[in-house]
Amino acid sequence: MEKSIESIWKQGFINSDALVAPKLNKLYNQKSIHIIDKFKRMFRINLNAIVAGSILFLGISFVIGIPYMGIGFFLTLSIIVIVNRRLSRGLNKIDKSESSYQYIKAFDNWMKQQVSVNRIMARFYYPLFFLSGVLGFWQYHFNGKQLGEAITNKLILNYPGIDLIFGVPLFIILGVILMMVMLSYFGGKLYQWDLKVVYGGVLRKLDEIIADMEELRNT
Amino acid sequence: MSNDFYAISIKPYAAIIIKICRAYTNSQEDFEDYYQEVCLQIWRTRNNFRGQSEWSTWVYRLALNVSLTMLKKRKNNQQYFTSEFLPNELTESNQAFPDEDLNQLYDAIKRLSELDRGLILLYLEEKSYKEIAEITGTNPNNIGVRIKRIKERLKKLLDGKVD
Repeated sequence: MEKSIESIWKQGFINSDALVAPKLNKLYNQKSIHIIDKFKRMFRINLNAIVAGSILFLGISFVIGIPYMGIGFFLTLSIIVIVNRRLSRGLNKIDKSESSYQYIKAFDNWMKQQVSVNRIMARFYYPLFFLSGVLGFWQYHFNGKQLGEAITNKLILNYPGIDLIFGVPLFIILGVILMMVMLSYFGGKLYQWDLKVVYGGVLRKLDEIIADMEELRNT
Repeated sequence: MSNDFYAISIKPYAAIIIKICRAYTNSQEDFEDYYQEVCLQIWRTRNNFRGQSEWSTWVYRLALNVSLTMLKKRKNNQQYFTSEFLPNELTESNQAFPDEDLNQLYDAIKRLSELDRGLILLYLEEKSYKEIAEITGTNPNNIGVRIKRIKERLKKLLDGKVD
C-alpha cells in the first residue's frame, strides 16, 4: 500500500457521492435500537405488566378464596415496581453528550446499581412469594374446611405426638423456613443467571470498552 | 424533529455522522438506522448544548457515544453490539464509498476495537490530541502513542500482513 491512510481518507471524501446522508423516514422501522432507550422501554413495559398482573391477581385471589396469597404477591410486586421505577429515573440522567468515558461509565454504573439492587431484592421476593403461596393455600377453604386445618388434623391422627406451634405442625414450619432460606440463597443467583443470559454480551462489551478507555486514561 | 433543525444543525455536519456510523456498521440498513438514531439523539439532547465546545465537537461526541452503545435486533429477540467483529467473508458486500481505497480503509478500521475506531476517525478528521482526549474522556498524553499503534495496525491490515 503506497498511499498513507491520511491521503486515502482525504482523497476518498473529495468525491461528494461518498457522503450521501440517508433520509430520515424510518424512525418506526428501525433494525437497531439504542441501549438506553431499550432499557427505558423494557422497564416501562415490565413494570406496567407487573402492576396490571398483581392487581388482577389480587382480585382473583379474593374471589377464589386465597386472599393471603393475593395480598402477599401484590405487596411484594408493588415494592419491586416502586424500586425499579426509581431506578429507571437514573437512565434519564445519563447525558449522551458527555465524553465517551463518562457516558459509558455512567451507563455502566447505572447497570451495576440496578443489578445490585435487584439481586438483593430477589433474595427477599422469592421467599416472600413462596410464603404468600403457602399461606394462601393454608387458608384456602376446601369442602367447607380450611386446607391447613385439614392437613394438621390428618397429621395429628397419624402422628399423635407431633409438635405444634400456633396449631401448625413444627416440621411444616421448618420445611417452609428451609425452603425460604434456599430461595433466598438462590434468588440472587437466579437473577444473576437470568441477567447473564439476556444481557451477558452487552455487559461484557461495556466492560471491554471501559477497560480499554481506562488503560488510555491511566498509562 | 423540525426541518429547520435538521437543515441548520444536522445537515451541515452530516459528513461527520456518516463517517462515524459507517465505521460501526456492516450494512446499508444498519448504517441508516445508526444515522437516524444519532440525528434523533442530537435533537433530543440539543438543549444540553451550552456552547462550551464547537457544535461539530458536540456532534462527534454524540455520534461516537451513540454508535458505541447501539444494539441490533435479532429475529430471536436477543441483542448484541453490532460492532462485534465479523470476518470479512461473513459480512455482506459493503461498497459504501465510490473510492475503492477508502472502502478498504474502512474495512480495516472496522477490525479495530470500538475505542480505536473512534480514535482513528477523530485523528483522520484532524482533531488535535487534546480534542480527541476531550471527546473520548481519555488522557491526551496517551493519545499520540495509541494513534501511532493504530496506524501501524491499519497499515498491516491494508497490506494484508495480518488477518
